[in-house]
Amino acid sequence: METNYDAIVVGTGISGGWAAKELCEKGLKTLVLERGRMVKHVEDYPTMNDDPWDYKTGDVITQETLKKQEKQSRTNYSTKESTKHFFVNDIEHPYNENNRFDWMRGYHVGGRSIMWGRQSYRLTDFDFTANLKDGVAIDWPIRYKDIAPWYKYVEEFIGVSGKNIGLPHFPDGNYLKPLELNCVDEVLKDSVSEKYSDRVVANARVAHITEGTKPGLGRSTCQYRNRCSRGCPFGAYFSSNSSTLPTAEATGNMTLRPNSVVHEVIYDADAKRATGVRVIDAETKEVYEFNAKVIFLCASTVPTTSILMQSKSDAFPNGMGNQSGELGHNIMDHHFQVGAEGRFEGFEDKYYTGRRPGGIYIPRFRNIGGKTDDNDFLRGYGYQGGANRGSWSDTVAEMAYGADFKEQITKPGDWSMGINGFGEILPYHENKMILDYDKLDQWGLPTVTFDATIKENEMKMRKDMQEQAIEMLENAGFKDVKGYDNEYAIGLGIHEMGTARMGRDRKTSVLNANNQLHDVPNVYVTDGASMTSAGNVNPSLTYMALTARAANHAVEELKKMNI
Amino acid sequence: MDRRKALRNIGTGIGAIAVTPTVVSLFQSCQTAATYTPAFIPAEDFEIVSNLMELIIPKTEIPGAIELKLPEFTDAYIAAVWDENQKASFTEGWSEFLAASTKSASKEKSSQLSIEDWDAQLAKYLKPGNDIPAEEEGAAKFANQLRSLTVNAFKTNEFIGETVMAYAPIPGEQRGCVDLMETTGGKAWSL
Repeated sequence: METNYDAIVVGTGISGGWAAKELCEKGLKTLVLERGRMVKHVEDYPTMNDDPWDYKTGDVITQETLKKQEKQSRTNYSTKESTKHFFVNDIEHPYNENNRFDWMRGYHVGGRSIMWGRQSYRLTDFDFTANLKDGVAIDWPIRYKDIAPWYKYVEEFIGVSGKNIGLPHFPDGNYLKPLELNCVDEVLKDSVSEKYSDRVVANARVAHITEGTKPGLGRSTCQYRNRCSRGCPFGAYFSSNSSTLPTAEATGNMTLRPNSVVHEVIYDADAKRATGVRVIDAETKEVYEFNAKVIFLCASTVPTTSILMQSKSDAFPNGMGNQSGELGHNIMDHHFQVGAEGRFEGFEDKYYTGRRPGGIYIPRFRNIGGKTDDNDFLRGYGYQGGANRGSWSDTVAEMAYGADFKEQITKPGDWSMGINGFGEILPYHENKMILDYDKLDQWGLPTVTFDATIKENEMKMRKDMQEQAIEMLENAGFKDVKGYDNEYAIGLGIHEMGTARMGRDRKTSVLNANNQLHDVPNVYVTDGASMTSAGNVNPSLTYMALTARAANHAVEELKKMNI
Repeated sequence: MDRRKALRNIGTGIGAIAVTPTVVSLFQSCQTAATYTPAFIPAEDFEIVSNLMELIIPKTEIPGAIELKLPEFTDAYIAAVWDENQKASFTEGWSEFLAASTKSASKEKSSQLSIEDWDAQLAKYLKPGNDIPAEEEGAAKFANQLRSLTVNAFKTNEFIGETVMAYAPIPGEQRGCVDLMETTGGKAWSL
């Protein structure tokens, strides 16, 4: 077995796939390590064509499944009988919660790039300057101009459907044709445009091919089946399995090794460089070492930081790159499950075709300058949502039961619309993850303990998120508008991030502006762990852009013999 | 029960005696009850539950609840999906419904109730505008729950999903605002 490579990438999800692609395309012999099983595009999507009636429960998760995936099922929407094989078994992969923390994971090749939500938005300078402006935590070491070309590059490769509307806080991008809004989405859009000067209803931006094809393993246009999280036979949405990994594979430079649990980065104190990684084979439990000139940690936020914490040496007694003491701290997510919904009367003769993978998006309209700064909380939030026709309506209920009732329930019900806020969580030092060496997993590795909560700023923001949602729907003429603020715990947004933040100073941050460990420049962290603040938009696109940018930096540094 | 076998049985029935749709349903339910062992619903009550579901979704030009095996689906669904609290609540609601129905029909045992009696009870709880006595709120809630379960089973049924409602496993296109009648003939998408 070859143990020496130019580069090692740990993880195959959104970030790892991108690191693999970029490094292999630049000619580096790259070992890509994945802790879970192999998942081949199409071949390993066993449920991709199933209808609800192919399941004895209509694809609703059973109690038997819940016993093994209680934590994975806390969203109430992500785990189904048709998707359960892409989520971990909580009993086999335990973690600990000082406060409730929802940690949804997929341990397999492709990671969560198979089941992700696919909403793809850019951060802006409102985000990159926010900590500095507010005096919160530390400043990002980069600005929008540093990452903008990489957003463009990534969007071009993966394919993102959307529409440019020229707003500084919702920047234009490199988009394929947008998904169509439906009749009732348009009602809200027109009403908001007429009644508000500070906000707009935009088309969602999702990583779906809506015209033409994209590189990878036969990626073609979306067929609007909305069975994305089972894996797509058309390769219509971006996943590592359909896109980056096959592209890396095609270079001949990639060695992909599944069932490889990386738990430590090996450090050479004399050279002040990392030399490789230690791996436990998940199946045989044999231990291996692999060596490389450069290492990309893309195992996703918590495992990446976990690996650094376990990488202890005389030089780094508290974990590699942890001279600041910030490793494991400042864990963030996006808080959500707060908003409003209402019924719309009219358009009974209208419908839609296709099960679209995204509806409307209302970009942030708080704290972006001028009057928008007049709030009792910092930062902002956006809404995702859409209208649809329900299954059966009040008018049908009046038919009670029987033959007429039966006929009516085969027809579309009333229109209704929901808008759900996604808000920024501030980076709090006290929100953290630690390792518990008294509770080991089946590989003898420490388990993770979470201790994090949302605080006053988020609670105030949630109040506004609900109020504004109600007001916008009522203003647009929706009936029976009801606000909601459902139970939320950090992690539920499945956007866990932070814990190895980027910064300008090695005394207060873990990574520099190029995602290198300040003190070990041949170790790059480019997944969610690197985030200095959370912004309020879905983060995967940013991880891809940061990864592509960092990989190209690493290649240049290798050429210059700097690392 | 095998659908073809069921149809053959019904055919025999029609040839032998003059039957009303209700009788056909009852006949089918007997067949069903005889061949299916429920996983959650008490075996002795399965026929009554089946008849109630048939009243909610009766046979028309398309099959009704019993022929579609909605009682079997619902029984398996509850057994597999619901937690112990939900199951206990269903069981309690069912007892209240049985007791209230038996009392309303002035019978001694629920097994003595006719289809007409069950129909009257569903009408009382499900048709709008009826005052429900406080002591029958549990029974009324149960009737609503049974209706929801029946609708869920109906809409999750392969025959209904593929041939009665508008079925598009691979839509191929996405359009936001189209004419309902032109697009699906007025039917809802099944997926």
